[in-house]
Amino acid sequence: MKNETQGIDYALLVVVMLLVFTGVMMVFSSSFYYAMAKWENKYLFLEKHLVWAGAGVVAMIFFSLIDYKLYRKIAFILFVLSFIFLGLLFTPLGKEVNGAVRWVDIGPLTFMPSEFAKMAAILYMAGFLENRQRKIHKFSSGLLPVLIIVGAYFVLIYKQPNLSNAITISGILMAMAFVAGVNIFQLMTLGAAGGVGIYAAILSSEWRARRFLTFLDPFKDTFGDGWQVIQSLYALGSGGLFGVGLGQSTLNKLYIPEPQNDFIFATVGEELGFVGSSLLILLFLFLIYRCIRIAMNAPDQYGMFLATGITAMLAIHTIINVAVVTSSMPVTGLQLPFISYGGNFLLMLMIAMGIMLNISKQSKSIQTKQRES
Amino acid sequence: MTKPNKMHRLRLWAAYLIVSLILFGLIGRLAYIQVINNEFYLSKALSHQIRDIPLPALRGDILDRNGMKLAFSMSTFTVWARPADVDDPEAHGEALSTILDESAAGISARISNPESTLVRVAKGLTKSKADLVRNKGLKGVWVTESSKRVYPYGNFAAHIIGHSTEDGDGLSGIEQMLDEALSGLDGKIVSHTDAAGRTLPVGDEKVYEPEDGYNVVLTLDEVIQHFTEKAVDGGLKDFGAKRIMAVVMDPMTGEVLAMTTKPDYDPNTPRELTSFFTAEEIAAMDNDAMFQAWNQIWRNPIVSDTYEPGSTFKLLTAAAGLEEDKVSVNSTFNDKGYIIVNGVRINCLRSNNPHGLQTLTQGLENSCNPVFIEIGQRLGTETFFNYVEDFGFTEKTGILLPAEGNALVQAEERIGPVELATMSFGHGVSTTPIQVATAVSAIVNGGNLMQPLIVKSLSDDEGNVVESFEPKVRRQVISKETSDEMRKMMESVVLKGSGKKAYIPGIGVGGKTGTTEKLVDGRYSKDLAYASFVGFAPVDDPKVVVLVIVDEPKDINFGSVVAAPIAHNILLDTLRYMKVEPEILDAAKMVTVPDLTGKTFKQAQAILDASELLLNTVPIDLDDPEAIVQMQYPAAGEKIRQHSIVILSFDTTH
Repeated sequence: MKNETQGIDYALLVVVMLLVFTGVMMVFSSSFYYAMAKWENKYLFLEKHLVWAGAGVVAMIFFSLIDYKLYRKIAFILFVLSFIFLGLLFTPLGKEVNGAVRWVDIGPLTFMPSEFAKMAAILYMAGFLENRQRKIHKFSSGLLPVLIIVGAYFVLIYKQPNLSNAITISGILMAMAFVAGVNIFQLMTLGAAGGVGIYAAILSSEWRARRFLTFLDPFKDTFGDGWQVIQSLYALGSGGLFGVGLGQSTLNKLYIPEPQNDFIFATVGEELGFVGSSLLILLFLFLIYRCIRIAMNAPDQYGMFLATGITAMLAIHTIINVAVVTSSMPVTGLQLPFISYGGNFLLMLMIAMGIMLNISKQSKSIQTKQRES
Repeated sequence: MTKPNKMHRLRLWAAYLIVSLILFGLIGRLAYIQVINNEFYLSKALSHQIRDIPLPALRGDILDRNGMKLAFSMSTFTVWARPADVDDPEAHGEALSTILDESAAGISARISNPESTLVRVAKGLTKSKADLVRNKGLKGVWVTESSKRVYPYGNFAAHIIGHSTEDGDGLSGIEQMLDEALSGLDGKIVSHTDAAGRTLPVGDEKVYEPEDGYNVVLTLDEVIQHFTEKAVDGGLKDFGAKRIMAVVMDPMTGEVLAMTTKPDYDPNTPRELTSFFTAEEIAAMDNDAMFQAWNQIWRNPIVSDTYEPGSTFKLLTAAAGLEEDKVSVNSTFNDKGYIIVNGVRINCLRSNNPHGLQTLTQGLENSCNPVFIEIGQRLGTETFFNYVEDFGFTEKTGILLPAEGNALVQAEERIGPVELATMSFGHGVSTTPIQVATAVSAIVNGGNLMQPLIVKSLSDDEGNVVESFEPKVRRQVISKETSDEMRKMMESVVLKGSGKKAYIPGIGVGGKTGTTEKLVDGRYSKDLAYASFVGFAPVDDPKVVVLVIVDEPKDINFGSVVAAPIAHNILLDTLRYMKVEPEILDAAKMVTVPDLTGKTFKQAQAILDASELLLNTVPIDLDDPEAIVQMQYPAAGEKIRQHSIVILSFDTTH
């Protein structure tokens, strides 16, 4: 038992705590003016974020103590539950915000089924892939069933509409399938088909098409869809090499809407400069590296696939968020892990980190045993 | 429990590689936005976030060489109201009525007019009145400050000083020429604002202090300018001329001491045309005509326009002949009343009664054309043209006044014998007055062509000189000996010849007259003429050169009759002011100058009458008996002769 507690990946823990701390700092720095102007309480978002982050740390510790093998047994229930929750959005319980139904409103509690679905899908898919290890390279028994699950999630989430999360969940599951050993050729063919599909999806809706074109030339539409992206570029450019200093950003002073959310990286870039923004990305890269290491050293394939899914979620969120803020891809609403203002995603992310810690703890202890024997 | 195998690890590494590549790509993209191309985004961002509140620089003063303010700026205040914000127009009207000297009902009607978004309640207020309005703290009413250019002496030296727009852009004269130096650099308060336009707090505000404009110190002497304007105004009345120009220059330094063209305009009201045109004429003007009329009255013809110098140009011919040893002071010429050049007969002015045998000096006294034609022929076209060039008639003088004109001199290769002959006595050549004054200065100052100066120095508001314009010799044109001879000959012109009217007893005055018929539609007009005189004094030690040009005098056209007396008046006053004493002292009584500063015009007049002294006022046309004497010349306690003039300058802004 003594060995086991020493076995968790402390580097991972330290990086996560560092990121959570950075997030608290950046949420306050980016939101105080906005919160003051709108609600006359500059601590509004800081206070709420601290609650989410605190709950997250507790959840992480809690889940790091729970043996991840347990999830294998309940994964199918969670899997079914996730579809039920997603289905609830099509009932009167679904809450409409800005023309999209992404939230379920049950009395005092509102939550995002798609965030829950992300985690449930990872937990279920890990077991699903482990069971099919021997026939994974065959299309009918490998990629096809995976595609059916991906497709089901994609359609349900895409219908909300929430294209970014639909793409994220598909990306996570496909990354897991890739590591599990599906045929590369099949995967590449599929990737090409998926690209065409996404392209068609973008063109199918006028506002999505407009958003897409905005990314190609944000200055074309300075007061419409281009507004956020342009303000974000202004912020990054204003930051220069070393930044204007913490709390000194101008662009988060009502220029960027909800600066503590999806566009928080713009404030990071403005206040901490290129040095700060690139260091933050390197920190994520290091975190992902630790996660990959944990996946490789997982005691069993279930643990490996689980770790792979969580790592993929982390990587996809980071990449898409930074790409959107730097106007490298069309605007989609995805939070930057740990840094963006709280909510379900932060809590779920911390739970995921708890699971990662648990996997790392078990793999270490096995390694120790191996060395001893 | 199956463990991860090699394939899994390989694929995990591959996935990590892909993620790394993408994230490093994004770092590259960040480097491009934040470091390489950040100026682009930064400048665009700033244009949205930054608000400038201008801090206007104070425009510099224009001063005469003794520090007298000829133009300055002062603060003036405007009261504004926004009817939408005015809650109680009646009470506001009541409160403002006494301060603004307007009926309460009138004010309240204007500030409650729902059709206007902004009402200018009053303008041109003094600071004390503005403070009174401010202290009332009326809602929807506020005061702004702006500056106003003031020319305290009205028309005085108007063509030199020029004027500026209300926004402080120089439009003519020194105001235009040295606009940049006078303007200084406007400062500003730069503050960052949020998207709603509110100023962001803490440390974001930057204040750039304005740099006030430099003061321009002219070479002009306010006293001499005053004499000159008085003499020219008198000439305008006496001879009914269309206009009269006069320049007074220090021949040794090239400094312009006075320069005037009458009629002139008041730079305080530069667009006022009523003194130049009739009401019907003004009413008939379209926009273009209006601008043309303005440009005409603002133009300084002494620098910008040309005239035919006529016989005054004979000085150049004579100087060139002496310098080249083609002639001496005592060379004799025989005038038959005309001369045949290349088959063309050119008459002397007095062709019906030829001058006969005469020396060069006498030829100049008589202004006899054939004499100078002969000198021109002896010099030859090439040498003659060298002197035209050397005396500066083929180039601009570079004086610091706007829109300097070019002389009209025919190209050397187009000069035949007839053209050379007419040019020798100053016809068929057009020059600017400033060129003539500069060239004559060179003839009398020992041969040096000077750079004419109008600006002495630029100084900052603490009086430190930041740039000074020292006298500059452009080149030596004739020798000192030739210059000496020329001065003697010119004195002879005043003593015995056409310049008699410029004579001042006891002081050696030299000069030369000139009369040219004006070219009207390509022909010389019989009635319209320029009558001019250029003179200098004292002969032995020239202190001033005076050029007077009378444009279209009525009835009498001769420079000897029309221009010389004006030059005489200018010289008389100026030399006395410069304390050049006549050599033969008459028995006149000396009196002590009383102290007149602080007295009213009326009192001063009485005191001077009692001391048997005369008086001149600055401004010239002062008619306010209560005006207070600010300065006097000569100073109290000095001994001067009876019937001398005491110059008093008055504060008219009391």
